[in-house]
Amino acid sequence: MFVHLQGPYSFLFGRLTLAAIPYNNAIIQFAFVFAAIAALLVVAPVLYYRKIPYLFREWLTTVDHKKIGVMYIIVGLVMMFRGFFDGLMIRTQQVMADGPHSAGHLEAAHGYLPPSHFDQIYSSHGTIMIIFAATPILTGLGNIIVPLQIGARDMAFPTMNAISLWLTTVGAALIMASLFIGDFSTAGWVGLIPLTELDFSPSAGVDYWMWAIQISSVGTTLNAINVIATIITMRAPGMRWDRLPIFTWTTLSTSIIGLTSFPILGVALALLGADRYLGTHFYTAGLGGNLMLYTNLFWIWGHPEVYFLVLPAFGILSEVVPVFAEKPLFGYITMVAATFAIAGVSWLVWLHHFFTMGAGPKVNSFFSVATMAVGIPTGVKVFNWLFTLYRGRITFDTPMLWAAGALFLLLAGGLTGMMLAIPAINYMVHNSVFVVAHFHCMVLVIVYAIFAAVIFWFPKVFGFKLDERSGKWFFWCFTLGTLLVFTAMFGLGFMGETRRLDYLYDTDWFPALEIEEIGIGFYSLSCLLFGWMLFVSIRDRAKLKPVNDPWGKARTLEWLTRSPVPFYNFAVTPHVNTRDELTFRYLNHLSTEPDHFEAIHMPRNTPIPIIIGALAFGFGFGITWRIWWMTGLSLLGIIAVVIYRSFARDTGYHLSAEVMSQLEHEPPLGVIAESQFLSKRPLGGAGAH
Amino acid sequence: MKLRGLFSIAILPLLSGCSTDRFRLFHPDSPVSAVEWRFTLIDVGTMLLIILPVTLLAIVFFWRYRKSRNAEYDPSWSHSMGLELMMWGIPIVIVAFLGYESYRSTLLVNPFNPTALNMNDPANPPLEVDVITTDWQWIFVYPQYGIATIDDLPVVAGRPVKLYLTSTSVTNDFFIPQVAPMIDVMPGMRTADAFQVNKPASFEGFSADFSGAGFSWMEFSTRVLAAPDFAKWVAATQSAPDQLSYAAFTKLAEPTVNVGAKPSYFSHADPNLLLEAYNAARAGTVYAVPEQLKIETSSVDYTQGKNGTN
Repeated sequence: MFVHLQGPYSFLFGRLTLAAIPYNNAIIQFAFVFAAIAALLVVAPVLYYRKIPYLFREWLTTVDHKKIGVMYIIVGLVMMFRGFFDGLMIRTQQVMADGPHSAGHLEAAHGYLPPSHFDQIYSSHGTIMIIFAATPILTGLGNIIVPLQIGARDMAFPTMNAISLWLTTVGAALIMASLFIGDFSTAGWVGLIPLTELDFSPSAGVDYWMWAIQISSVGTTLNAINVIATIITMRAPGMRWDRLPIFTWTTLSTSIIGLTSFPILGVALALLGADRYLGTHFYTAGLGGNLMLYTNLFWIWGHPEVYFLVLPAFGILSEVVPVFAEKPLFGYITMVAATFAIAGVSWLVWLHHFFTMGAGPKVNSFFSVATMAVGIPTGVKVFNWLFTLYRGRITFDTPMLWAAGALFLLLAGGLTGMMLAIPAINYMVHNSVFVVAHFHCMVLVIVYAIFAAVIFWFPKVFGFKLDERSGKWFFWCFTLGTLLVFTAMFGLGFMGETRRLDYLYDTDWFPALEIEEIGIGFYSLSCLLFGWMLFVSIRDRAKLKPVNDPWGKARTLEWLTRSPVPFYNFAVTPHVNTRDELTFRYLNHLSTEPDHFEAIHMPRNTPIPIIIGALAFGFGFGITWRIWWMTGLSLLGIIAVVIYRSFARDTGYHLSAEVMSQLEHEPPLGVIAESQFLSKRPLGGAGAH
Repeated sequence: MKLRGLFSIAILPLLSGCSTDRFRLFHPDSPVSAVEWRFTLIDVGTMLLIILPVTLLAIVFFWRYRKSRNAEYDPSWSHSMGLELMMWGIPIVIVAFLGYESYRSTLLVNPFNPTALNMNDPANPPLEVDVITTDWQWIFVYPQYGIATIDDLPVVAGRPVKLYLTSTSVTNDFFIPQVAPMIDVMPGMRTADAFQVNKPASFEGFSADFSGAGFSWMEFSTRVLAAPDFAKWVAATQSAPDQLSYAAFTKLAEPTVNVGAKPSYFSHADPNLLLEAYNAARAGTVYAVPEQLKIETSSVDYTQGKNGTN
């Protein structure tokens, strides 16, 4: 061993002992029972209806970009629920632990969570929401929509796409494992240095955090490569750069950010790993280390990561607003320019995350002005949406409600962001909950855009619309929660409350904390309404019958093909004439149906990605607990599988023109049933080259 | 929705009884904090010049151009050179103005040498205090007087206070709302901060940057005393029985949670303690936190569970 470890160690189990399993903690017991019931609800029907072969054949081994996207979104939504539950626990602890006379329950002196447990919860809340909820959901949306918007049949590298998914899922699985085996980091989602060093965080918690992010960020980097290659090389004929839908533009800009910034995170975490595993001194205070090196590296990734998330959200708004205003987007070129301006400036602002580190006024002023400069293109985007509404014909379907909500949140977030960009103001509220409220405003812009997108594109993938009535209840309930929690939190920032307190000493804060708790109650209710919306929609799906353009006014290329979209996307690759292709064809009475059929080539499903994922989990779990045989074998296994795969020649199959004609004239069955149908029927030519 | 954009600051006083007393940061008590608050108002005012019309415009457009109202509909209009120049131009002008204001204000509150304070008046030299954070206490050394305290920071009314800060363990963030701006306190690094309060008062200070299990109890009181009272306090503390050499300091620096921030006072404090703590951290001295952390306190007895999970 290179470093001194506290506690027992064995060859077979590494640092893992039975004592690492917190079976005697009431909260963990509750979480376990909850997770077990949820798992049972998923697993039982699969077993009962004997769907395991179907699940394996059609989903776990798929390379279809839409199914991969759907699985990304499912992983993201499950993790978002977990992150929300963490948020609920944080809020409840704070309202219970205000003032020296507040009561203590379970093992806590105040509230119901002892400090180390509370610290794990807020750390996992941030980590999950940013890296395992927002990132996978937006990646999934990009995965589904981008190839459709540019008229491609799949991503450029379908197998690598599936590998990206499984690596992200492995990261999420490691975080979930930390709930029941061992503990999680207490050092925040940013990994406060030197708190993450072995001397201050001796348990495996930081290792879970570090490896979960590290593994999933490999997946995100691979996905960024895939998206860039797809958009550059696989556009349909006529899809010139100046006709690219805005969501595709923003996904391209975001992927460029991802490709260039995630490796920095990888290096930052690898050096931390060297400190924790090999006893080096990259980030220690002493012996030549420099802890601000980590903080700089982390935020050189971390700030572009914010735009990595928010740019696709802006792209979603730019798709939804024109559709429901029934007008083309105002200032297309300006919008694209603003997108890339934001992406470029996002590299020059990272230091504003630590204005208080003691840099001189000139350094701070530079980053202050650079930060405010981001406001220019962002303001331009707001004007663009505004003038898109002007002389429009606006209908408030649920996606439009979410988009409108995002617009107002962006204004609130922009106002407070411009405050924080000024160092003199920042010194006053830097680590206060005012900052927390500000960035939640911005993250909620992303969440609102996500819900707009999920509801907007749901019929594209599944062939039926989500129920509008329950969807509107969901929106208003969620928005009420947002208003209550974050208005109160802005106020608390000016009352002097700082972040990450598990015990609050000032009883003046209590009324505002209560308002926050009521707000989180509305959030909880909206979780149930979301479930209700899904249930009602699936129950009534026959009524919400499939049509190609369920909104009746869709504009872009992805709506040209059938809804639910068949596994091959477009029977015949369309020829693109203009920006809003579907609107153009409607107006000029051009056909939206293919006039002939031709043979196509599709990628073949493969279990390689999920095998790599399983081995990556073994690697992550092994190295977290320092079970070296497991780590080594998993790593060798991954290398062997990749080499084995590189010799595979039979990676695709052809569908003849007759089969395509047959498929196109079958009634649409939905993305889930469609390829099952394919697999049941012996298709001429399928399986051969 | 509009409420949050417009009145996020204004609505809470209404909810909590039409008083802004709770909103401490609205009532700065030090020239540095007053500058910070003044620029907050300048910034919000300038931004509202654009945010307010845009919010109103959004509401008007959403209202006016909804389908059921059959207002004018022009699906071909999607470009206007004049408007596009305006929507780049206005934000650029605002950012240029705020950028200038930002630079100006940053100099005024520069923690190393805030020009909002007169630090170079020979008739009123600053009170020097060295701040050392441990896991999880504040140690204040007054090198000019050879005394030190834990979790208590008495200062003189009307006299600038010059702070030098370092940490023995992890990063903290020094903060006294209404009085002193936040500044990071890092091991193996030194930072500075300054403030001045003109009237006797007392304030709560605390760490604003998460530093581990005892973080929430890392408070200290800031007592602003009139000059004679401060002199009396200094004299009394100079005869305190406990003394603070570097050796004694290394025992204090072991992880400790001081619930309720009960103060301690030391005479014969080593005036070079900050430098010694800084040098020790750079040489690799670490006060490690044990995995089986047991935090003993007078009022509560925390027993952290296995692996700190419980």
